[in-house]
Amino acid sequence: MNSWMKAGGTTRRRRAAAVATTLVSLALLLAAAPAARAAENQPSAASEPCLACHGSEGLEKALPGGEKLNLHIDGGVFATSVHASIGCPACHADINLASHPPSTKTIKSARDYAIAANNVCRGCHADKFAQWESSVHAALVRDGNVRAPLCTGCHSPHAVIKGAAATIEQTPCQRCHQDIYKVYIGSVHALARRNPDTSYAPLCSGCHGAHAIKPVVSSEGPKAACLGCHSDALDKHQVWLPNAALHFDIVSCPACHAPAAERQVDLMIYDSRSQTQVTQEGVPQFELRPGAAEAGDTLDAVALWRLLTTLNPKGAQDKITLRGRLEVRTGPQAHGLADKSKALRNCATCHRQGSDAFQNVTISIAGPDGRRIRQEASPGVLTSVISTNSIGGFYAIGATRIGFLDILAILALVGGVGASIGHATLRFLFKRYLLANRQLLASAAKGPGKTE
Amino acid sequence: MSRVYIHPLPVRIWHWTNAAGFVLMILTGVQIRYVGLISVTSFRTAVTLHNWIACVLIANFFLWLAFYLFTDKIKVWHPELDVKKHFAGSFRQAYFYGYGIFKGEPNPFHVTPYRKFNPLQSMLYQIIMMLLVPIQIYTGILLWNVKRFAGQVDFLGGVRVIDTVHVLIFIFFLFFIPFHAYLGTLGETVTAHFKAMLTGYEDVEEHEASGAESTPDGHAGKA
Repeated sequence: MNSWMKAGGTTRRRRAAAVATTLVSLALLLAAAPAARAAENQPSAASEPCLACHGSEGLEKALPGGEKLNLHIDGGVFATSVHASIGCPACHADINLASHPPSTKTIKSARDYAIAANNVCRGCHADKFAQWESSVHAALVRDGNVRAPLCTGCHSPHAVIKGAAATIEQTPCQRCHQDIYKVYIGSVHALARRNPDTSYAPLCSGCHGAHAIKPVVSSEGPKAACLGCHSDALDKHQVWLPNAALHFDIVSCPACHAPAAERQVDLMIYDSRSQTQVTQEGVPQFELRPGAAEAGDTLDAVALWRLLTTLNPKGAQDKITLRGRLEVRTGPQAHGLADKSKALRNCATCHRQGSDAFQNVTISIAGPDGRRIRQEASPGVLTSVISTNSIGGFYAIGATRIGFLDILAILALVGGVGASIGHATLRFLFKRYLLANRQLLASAAKGPGKTE
Repeated sequence: MSRVYIHPLPVRIWHWTNAAGFVLMILTGVQIRYVGLISVTSFRTAVTLHNWIACVLIANFFLWLAFYLFTDKIKVWHPELDVKKHFAGSFRQAYFYGYGIFKGEPNPFHVTPYRKFNPLQSMLYQIIMMLLVPIQIYTGILLWNVKRFAGQVDFLGGVRVIDTVHVLIFIFFLFFIPFHAYLGTLGETVTAHFKAMLTGYEDVEEHEASGAESTPDGHAGKA
């Protein structure tokens, strides 16, 4: 300070100017900062002309057939979305502002428009788009299903916030899978996810994936998800469960861990050579009988045997078999997973003749999109002698035993015991008879007297 | 009457271990298969017992096999290769059991240390020990760990086929065990064969004991 005061007049003026400049710059910077932050939550400048019209509530376009296409975009909501900074033209590049409105685009329906617009997402989200294209959702879209979700079905492009889909409250799956969502909310996974210590517990996407969602094929896809987190599950089960590895192959996890669920058996038509499911194509019984279930027509043991004989003609290299699975009857029930203390551990629940688990049987085959096409079968197929070869790979000791063998067992036991008792009785009776005869013979030999 | 030593100690130990083991296997097997009808133990306990007793019986089988392979007592298992003689002896024995025994006729077969099985016994025991028991052991091992032996299980037709074979042999033993126990009472006295399998000694007639008038196949008659 003393040295500064001692400096000459010119120097002091220069220094004062420098301080003033610095202070003003700082003031300007501080004043600009809120403005800069406001710009992040504001649509980009390119969006403003669009929102001038599309920000109006009630803006809509009449489509052929009477449908209305909503054209209103909430500017405030859009401003908070991750797309705000890139603006409207980034996705709607086909719109030429010089000639818009009116729009000359021909739009058949809102769905058609959405499907066409869906391809825009590919431009920035190529990897996720590719995953979606491989999913059952995309397969359903290609099939013409108007409810199957496009990108915009789960991620509203004008309101998407990063990470929102990964919360229980905002997961988009609930929009279509409301019944499953309601069950999931009460499950052990949802409860664990709400606990800060176990917030890593899975949401829908944790088990089914977010974009590459595949049809639930027996328990292989979801089972891989279960074992992905519960990697020591097999070791833990082997401590107390006989044939634990076989159970893991045949029984879906929810069959025991969703104790309130109803169980059923699904017999998948399976190519044991290529280790894949057989598809519907080329299997007349499935191509021609889509409505069989509604008609009350079920496959019995003889029909099943005929089906497999048809699929395995003599000389054929492929070995088509039935691969049985014990699973839960409905999707919602399968999501009612409970704490492991409530899991089924009583073997008699399933390994008992008449068990509920084996009263509902379906035969299934893979459809074109991977989803299984099912046909009802009679529960008797599991216990028929005729099915010994047809369902050679599926057997639950006790529960699906062949009834004919029970009759043989009784005959064998009765035969063994009966033959013994019968033979012993005959010996006893003959012995008494022989003893009696010997006395008679002996007394006859002595006689009343000899003839002289 | 004189006493002939026909059942060496290893054979007696094997026999009674097998007897107890088979009965326990049948009981635990019934509990496993008929869990809805019978509730003596839990399914899991029955499976555990069934597995452990199986281990004992498998070891027992190989002890039996080793005894006969490595001693001269294997002669008791030498088959009658003369088909005519075999059928004649079998028929003679079946005739005795089915008719002669009721008339008080003597047993046509007489035991010796190296010929202790009559033709029917010899045939049946060989079928049991060389065919049925090995198949039962093999199918049982496959069922004990289906996943580990999945290749063999699939090759043989699947777990249902394996289990059906296992159960059919179980059904055979449901018949055989009580009948075998009863046939054990058809000695000189009701308890003669049981005592022999406990002490090793069978009581036989003097001339039979000397073997002078026994044919090589143990039947009464001139040599």
